[in-house]
Amino acid sequence: MPEVITRRTAPWSPPAPPVEPPTPPPPPPSSGTTRAQALHLARRATWGATPRLVADIRAVGAQAWVDAQLDPARIPLTADERTVLAEYPRLSMSVAAVRERYGSDTGDLGTDSIHAYTARAIWSERQLFEVMADFWTNHLVVTAPWGPAWDSVHRFQEDVVRRHALGRYADLLVAAVTHPALLKQLDNTSSTRWSPNENLGRELLELHTVGVEAGYTEADVRHSTLVLTGLTTHRQTGEAAYEPDWHHTGRLTVLDWRHANTAADGSAVVRDYLLHLARHPRTARRIATKLAVRFVGDSPPAALVDRLAAAYLAADTRIAPVLRTLFASEEFAGAGGTKTKRPFENAVSTARVLGIRPGPANRRWFDEVLWLSSLAGHKPMGWPAPNGYPDVAAAWAGAGATLGVWNLHMQQGWQSTRTDDPWVTVPPFRGLLPAALPATHGEYVDALASRLLVGPLSTAKRAAVCAFLDRTPASPLRATDAAVGWRLPYVVALLLDTPEFATR
Amino acid sequence: MTDTVPAEARVRACGCPEYERSTVDRRAVLGGLAALGAGAATVALAPRADATTSLTFADGTYTGDTLVVLSFRGGFDGLSAVVPVADPAYLTLRPTIGIPTSRTLQLDARFGLHPALAPLLPWYTAKKLAFVHALGLPNPTRSHFTDMAELERAAPGSSLRSGWLDRMVGATDRPGTFAGTALGTASAPASFAGPTLELAMRSVDRFTLSGAWDATEEARWSTALRALHAGAAPQHAGPATTALDAVATTTAMKNAGYSPAHGAVYPSGDLAASLRDVARLVKTGVGLRAATVDSGNWDMHEGLGRSDRGWMFDQLGQVAAALAAFMTDLGPAADRVTLVTLSEFGRRAAENGSGGTDHGHGNVSMVLGGKVNGGRVYGTWPGLGAGQLQQGDLAATTDFRSLLGEILERRCGLTASTVLPGLPSARLGVVRRDA
Repeated sequence: MPEVITRRTAPWSPPAPPVEPPTPPPPPPSSGTTRAQALHLARRATWGATPRLVADIRAVGAQAWVDAQLDPARIPLTADERTVLAEYPRLSMSVAAVRERYGSDTGDLGTDSIHAYTARAIWSERQLFEVMADFWTNHLVVTAPWGPAWDSVHRFQEDVVRRHALGRYADLLVAAVTHPALLKQLDNTSSTRWSPNENLGRELLELHTVGVEAGYTEADVRHSTLVLTGLTTHRQTGEAAYEPDWHHTGRLTVLDWRHANTAADGSAVVRDYLLHLARHPRTARRIATKLAVRFVGDSPPAALVDRLAAAYLAADTRIAPVLRTLFASEEFAGAGGTKTKRPFENAVSTARVLGIRPGPANRRWFDEVLWLSSLAGHKPMGWPAPNGYPDVAAAWAGAGATLGVWNLHMQQGWQSTRTDDPWVTVPPFRGLLPAALPATHGEYVDALASRLLVGPLSTAKRAAVCAFLDRTPASPLRATDAAVGWRLPYVVALLLDTPEFATR
Repeated sequence: MTDTVPAEARVRACGCPEYERSTVDRRAVLGGLAALGAGAATVALAPRADATTSLTFADGTYTGDTLVVLSFRGGFDGLSAVVPVADPAYLTLRPTIGIPTSRTLQLDARFGLHPALAPLLPWYTAKKLAFVHALGLPNPTRSHFTDMAELERAAPGSSLRSGWLDRMVGATDRPGTFAGTALGTASAPASFAGPTLELAMRSVDRFTLSGAWDATEEARWSTALRALHAGAAPQHAGPATTALDAVATTTAMKNAGYSPAHGAVYPSGDLAASLRDVARLVKTGVGLRAATVDSGNWDMHEGLGRSDRGWMFDQLGQVAAALAAFMTDLGPAADRVTLVTLSEFGRRAAENGSGGTDHGHGNVSMVLGGKVNGGRVYGTWPGLGAGQLQQGDLAATTDFRSLLGEILERRCGLTASTVLPGLPSARLGVVRRDA
């Protein structure tokens, strides 16, 4: 999905007032989607629920909202998205241009890619598309900012992941395996018929397609590697290249795939092999399982996985019909509250729910948020292994990850007080409360919970937040109280520290 | 009541993220920490406030070693680290990346050490370091993820889902907050997966709670956060509880500072920083029974380098310098520590066309500690000849569980078969019991 990026020339000025109304308008009763259903969908299909998003879903109905999200080209880019992306013109550079300009390794393109990733997650209204971009980034893994694909990771994001995120997996797989970034990441650039390098040949089977459960042998791995010999990159430009001299010719067999492979140019054999793998029932099962883990549960029901795999094969590897089936399923409907946000998701959803918007020093703010995310163990494209970040709660249930996310919340609270030298635009936290202050501290907690958690807190938790302020729920609230003054950023951070906010 | 803005909150309102303030009296912390032994321990903390003035570790009666597991992620090349100099096939299989015998540091008649590991040679000579060669999983797949999962589960052929270190810590008497700790990471590795709570921290110094600028505020946050996580699902409540249980101690340790002992100088890098924290936790006496430390970036399919420079040389040099500093820093405390290195698989015996190696099987482990029967290379060498390789790989003649089982029995005082089901009976004698 290439977009024209216009460079912003006007000096920075504060953006329009926050778009998030303190109290969402009541939805029309006709959509039939309950608040709980809308919240569940918003938590799962986006980078973080907000009261306005939940109201939007209720207004049009869950199914219509999903349908619209599955057609992202019809959802305009937001002004905030455009503003920030205009600050990253290097993302449109070709691989050859990057190599010409930098000569040797730089983290610039990777850093820009990660910033753009963050900006889109926060500010795009193509939320399901952005979630799927994250999904595929963790399926066909290219590391950044430092890695063998330093010169091409940005093109991989644009030309592979984002172009095909809601398209056909077969197209995505072919684009990925023939892209310089993945060829470099998994060492295929030096794999030849004389001396094959098995890294890509093995991970293609294990991670990208059929999975180890398919029961392939070491001989299959060798042949899988030989299929890919010849796929390399140009020594000077770093762009994709094909070396017929390096290609192994002769009969090849991998699982149930066979090819005579007689021509020196094996490009057609590669394509045939990749399409076969993409359409393999084992691949269908693997993709279906991963999607179900992403959107439904850490141990998804087998019957749902079966139906998703069938939908994948019936649609010739198209992803949108699989997602439509998933979001319409009973299993999805019944899975509310069972997934956990990963640390970077928690960071993005924090920015979304606080209504943070671009400002004069977006780069500095991204650097800070990403640093705090990395302390919690989750910076985009930073997982050191080719299998991508795990997406089950058990993998993230670490004290360090939890503490890291809490500290990130507090840091955003302090960010809100940076009024003299702001990096981004943080709406004053006082705006999180109704203009007319609630009468008691208990009602104050209710108002904040409704705004930040899109739902109430239990009586006991409500009292605990009041106790944090040395008050009880019945204590009257006055404009001079710390709760609405200097303590407010701390209370906001505390509410964001709750399991309610950590739930996807 | 707290309706006036405290100075600390105003300072923070400047938005300076790196603002730190020591509120703990150093002498109190040092005095408290220095007095600790191996049993139940009390650390004096935060003397300013009445809320949290001390923390008692429920340390049970464990008197075994702190077991430190250093994981080489990505597939460590044991054939580069501990070179089979007497095996005639070695340099034939590795014409460009093989380490010439003349460049190795002699370990015995059969093996030589990679020159970048030179800082470890004194520990080998002092018999505190041993190697076990041709060690591996009984059921290799050559997949990073499957083999890593099997290694960390360490229960092949069983339906157990937990990690072996979770079972190890769970088998000890009343493990405390720090009993199982992963250093250098925000979330623990799969070896700690299971019912016994573990701690995971990037570093001691980073394990502090923002916004809690003194003990009163720390108590305020802790009380509120515990209440907000009461009754939550285990994936939320578990790490929250552990974090809050540990943060007072780590904050006090941070404020007390740390200087490595005995002239130890740690190199830069994450591995050294994590080992430094392990030594610090051991000497502070917080009840550390099992610690994990990771070292990544070993998946050298391409451009492994030469015996005097390059990727492997640099990484091995980092490892050696970090481990040597760790042992120096521990000093006599090394008698209560056993460190073992593990990796999901070794590399293919022959180099590939990219000057690297693909996934293999048999590998080397290092065992380091005060009660190691060091100065020897253990294991049965299967050979690198054509008829001796298994699918092109060094065979594994020692099941990795034999080594771990021996350490659990002799150094941790545990019944190893309860931690490692199906544990083979073979033992190598790499470590010894206390006299």
